[in-house]
Amino acid sequence: MFKWEKLGRIFNPLEITDRPWLKEFAQAPSVLIFEDFVRVYFSCRPPRDEKGQYVSYSAFVDLNRNNLFEIVDISRQPILKLGEPGTFDEFGTYPVSMIRSENGILAFYGGWTRCESVPFNVAIGMTISHDNGISFSKCGNGPVLSYTPDEPFILSGPKIRRFNSLWYLWYIAGKRWLWNNGKPEPVYKIRMAYSNDTVNWIKAGRDLIEDKLEVNECQASPDVFFFENRYHMFFCYRYSLNYRGREKGYRIGYAFSDDLQNWTRDDNKAGIDISEEGWDSEMLAYPHVFHLDGCLYMLYLGNEMGRYGFGLAILEEYKS
Amino acid sequence: MKWEKIGKIFDPTEHKLPNECREFAQAPQVLVFEDFVRVYFSTRKKDKTGKFLSHISFIDMDKEFRKIVNISSKTVIELGKLGCYDEHGIFPLNVLRDSNRILGYIGGWSRRVSVSIETSIGLAISKDNGLTFKRIGDGPVLSSTLHEPFLVGDPFVAIYNNKYYMWYIYGVSWIYCKATLSRERIYKIGYAVSDDGINWNKANRQIISDKLNREECQALPSVIYHKDMYHMVFCYRQATDFRKNRERSYRIGYAYSEDIHNWIRDDENVGIDLSPNGWDSDMMCYPHIFKCNDNIYLLYNGNEFGRYGFGLALLEE
Repeated sequence: MFKWEKLGRIFNPLEITDRPWLKEFAQAPSVLIFEDFVRVYFSCRPPRDEKGQYVSYSAFVDLNRNNLFEIVDISRQPILKLGEPGTFDEFGTYPVSMIRSENGILAFYGGWTRCESVPFNVAIGMTISHDNGISFSKCGNGPVLSYTPDEPFILSGPKIRRFNSLWYLWYIAGKRWLWNNGKPEPVYKIRMAYSNDTVNWIKAGRDLIEDKLEVNECQASPDVFFFENRYHMFFCYRYSLNYRGREKGYRIGYAFSDDLQNWTRDDNKAGIDISEEGWDSEMLAYPHVFHLDGCLYMLYLGNEMGRYGFGLAILEEYKS
Repeated sequence: MKWEKIGKIFDPTEHKLPNECREFAQAPQVLVFEDFVRVYFSTRKKDKTGKFLSHISFIDMDKEFRKIVNISSKTVIELGKLGCYDEHGIFPLNVLRDSNRILGYIGGWSRRVSVSIETSIGLAISKDNGLTFKRIGDGPVLSSTLHEPFLVGDPFVAIYNNKYYMWYIYGVSWIYCKATLSRERIYKIGYAVSDDGINWNKANRQIISDKLNREECQALPSVIYHKDMYHMVFCYRQATDFRKNRERSYRIGYAYSEDIHNWIRDDENVGIDLSPNGWDSDMMCYPHIFKCNDNIYLLYNGNEFGRYGFGLALLEE
């Protein structure tokens, strides 16, 4: 059982006024820890274009390691360029997940393209940074993890980890598109792949987390860490349709595993829920858990999928 | 090689096809039976938006290709589901026997917004002698990767020494064309190897050298083993102004290989070219090479990318 104490909102993108590409949203936070600061990557958007559509970029804020509520720097430009015409990431690079490797800082990200019959598709790309994570260059113009017979579309939300010298990607894969009042809505589930070299991946090929709400439950942000002799996963989940409000919006779920393969879902142990009021009163989404200086923290999004930024919680208590 | 043209053998506008398809019989692909030859092809209907959907049909012909003995009356394979790689068309369906089943490799098409389309390759299996095919899953078996970023299509699969070989094309860029105010695609021929026909290892390289220029488009490879050598036919064209300009349209190319991995392009010896007039006088494309009754044949499309059907040639030498 986890018990989290909410510390409050860390970053609100609406307060940033001098970066037109960082106008709205701060989604899917993930950290990279430096000696003096904690770099929190997130995804953001300029205002909608003339057709009412968004592109998404990724950026970072640096937080004082001794006071995570003090922002010491903000990226001056997006960390990653959008893709060339016709490539998988032409219209968005969201979300991102970073890890240090022998060659530099590796980032995996969801690349967004626009389709005709459905609004979008996503595949997972790989990039590398040699300047401490300020900018990233793509390892290729195509994706590193793409569609297969039982993962036909929407491979997104990658989280890169390394355990026992093997690389792991947790991510989501689309299952079906539902029609809702003439608008297609995707259903996606949590999946996993592993690799020796970060380039060639073997997919586990099954949904890792059983459904709780309904067969079309949507699951996202599978965030895995090792703690107290066990693997833990926080993720978020919601109803497939009409999810933009409090009733059917995202909540944070939890599962544990001893072998990284088999997961037991037990949302009752997540230990965090929506607030009575304020910026996270309607939904909680995109959890990211990290260790820092002897504490365990969780970053997460609040209402409207991070339109108003992300907040921080600290682990108060844990009982296995 | 030297080919004798037998002529056009099928015109889709003269027959009734399933799925309200009226025109086009493209990328013919053959399955040889004891008494007849089945030729699958891609044919088209227009949807509500006025854009084309490509469906698979087939005809059965006698083994001398003198007459059509049967035409598919039902849907051979459904188009893909909403949001899937093959939602808007199948071109081609490449078929081959694999013990007691028939594999159908799907060249799947789905529409995009900033460019016209994206493609990937899927797999379907027939257990009723090729009358109908069912997918092994909603997604593809071969798709874009780091260095083949889009437009993975035109599968041709063959089994040699218990390994599956797939020749296919992959996109390298979408260039902006001022004349059409749109993006035109450039693609090259590559290949992949597999132990099970499902999990593929790409060679990740262009195997056929460019002849026209760096922007040459290469399409629909088809391979046969004959006289101790692997032979490939394919088609190639200029990247732009290739639809109506006879000087820039598709031609048939040829390459050979002794080891199946390294290919020497040798278009001089392809042995077939445009006719001075008639159905294949403006372009030749989408070749398919196959053996039947100890003969080697070539099926191909002519003018307008096969709007009015396909023709046949017989290898003389």
